[in-house]
Amino acid sequence: MYLFTLNRMPDLLSMVIFHELAREGIEALVIVSPEKPMISVGYFQDVFQEINLDYLKKTGLPLFRREIGGGTTYLDENQIFYQVIYSPKDRKLPQTIKQAYEVLSQPPLRAHERLGIKARFREVNDLVTESGKKIGGEGGANIGQCMVFVGSMLMDFDYYTMSRVAKIPDEKWRDKVYKSLEENLTTMKRELGELPDRREVQEILIEEFRKILGPLEKAELPRDFLRRAKGLELKMQSPDFLYGKKKKEVASLKIKSGLNLIFGQHKARGGLIRTIQEVNGPPEGGMIQGLSISGDFTLIPKESLKEGLELSIVGSRREKYELLPRIAKFMDSRDKEMPGVTTEDILLSLGLKK
Amino acid sequence: MEVGEYLLPDDLWYHKEHFWVKLDGDVATVGVTDFFQKLAGEISYLELPSEGDEYSADDVVGTVETGKWVGKIYCPISGTITEVNSEALDDPAIVNRDPYGNGWLFKLKTSDLSELEKLLKGESALKWQEEEIRKKAK
Repeated sequence: MYLFTLNRMPDLLSMVIFHELAREGIEALVIVSPEKPMISVGYFQDVFQEINLDYLKKTGLPLFRREIGGGTTYLDENQIFYQVIYSPKDRKLPQTIKQAYEVLSQPPLRAHERLGIKARFREVNDLVTESGKKIGGEGGANIGQCMVFVGSMLMDFDYYTMSRVAKIPDEKWRDKVYKSLEENLTTMKRELGELPDRREVQEILIEEFRKILGPLEKAELPRDFLRRAKGLELKMQSPDFLYGKKKKEVASLKIKSGLNLIFGQHKARGGLIRTIQEVNGPPEGGMIQGLSISGDFTLIPKESLKEGLELSIVGSRREKYELLPRIAKFMDSRDKEMPGVTTEDILLSLGLKK
Repeated sequence: MEVGEYLLPDDLWYHKEHFWVKLDGDVATVGVTDFFQKLAGEISYLELPSEGDEYSADDVVGTVETGKWVGKIYCPISGTITEVNSEALDDPAIVNRDPYGNGWLFKLKTSDLSELEKLLKGESALKWQEEEIRKKAK
């Protein structure tokens, strides 16, 4: 298996390389960072629904769709990405998804520990510190004839930019996104009190991967390979691939495994209703542990928004049959007026079907 | 029949990438096995072929995403897609809940029924499934 220590590479190309290696069936460990910030979306994400494209345009942040699942991620040179590309015919290496996570999460976990940060794997695909804060994310896919396992080590993280990137129905909720990221995501710099030496992190990570993957042959990417990778980059930047995925779910931002911010909006006869829900557990059926509702609807008295409607929903599972009686109880109460808004409108504003 | 904790109905043909085929005349219904869905975990997205598309056996016809992985959907037998399960596209977890029933993926009009010989059924399917459990579900 080859070892490509690519350090900093042009942004999009840094993420295209492992796709091309997998397509060509070249087994390798790649260690890389994008030299400039970029945004990566999961294979199935609908960018129109989930990405603040105006912000990307204004800032010039490039957008990339990876052939790995998951949600929106902000990438820059302060994150070190590891990408393992191997043939499933190699019986020494993990044959299933479960085995891949069990075995290939060990090197970054041990690397964190050697650097002074105790970390563990947490379902579904996060590396977390002892206090439960996310410090790395992982993912995988079958690409070409290869299995591909990828992950990141966060030396530092730009919380501000990440909080701007998600498309949310109400700009005043940006601070909530920022705070949620800051509370649930940590970095080596925050844990250690200083930014670690990049070269040292890379070397330790490679050493730990060697223990699992066996001998690694240091190599450089040939010029003709880079030309083919540039060709793939063009294909992956085509509007069809980048913007063509449409999903039917409501927009959401995964803060860490098991914690999502879900954004909804619905135009009722009585006005527009926007919601941001903090959901612990899966988006469908998880616990709504925080909620803000805004819009141009009328609700009298206005205090009943927080003390009545929001309170009736918080603590419920995000599941329409559990929410329906709670919302209906509030809507049927006589000590408030909410003209042109029905129980069904509230459900739809939460992104739940009637 | 049950092989370990995995259901493997006797009346279906099986492709080695863990897809099943049920034949009605020359129309084949295709889905994933119980083993596939259990090892994959909860399916969050599906990308399925379009009606009218023609495929050969073993072609990649779609994509499946779980929290951990993006995997491929294979065509177990050659033919032309006649129907896609829109319910599974709307609610992919139905594939986990009912892989051999409402969680089917697509139907196709087969072009070469002799290809069934390359698929597994009955005793050969049982042996293959036992071997897969031994290798992958430890």
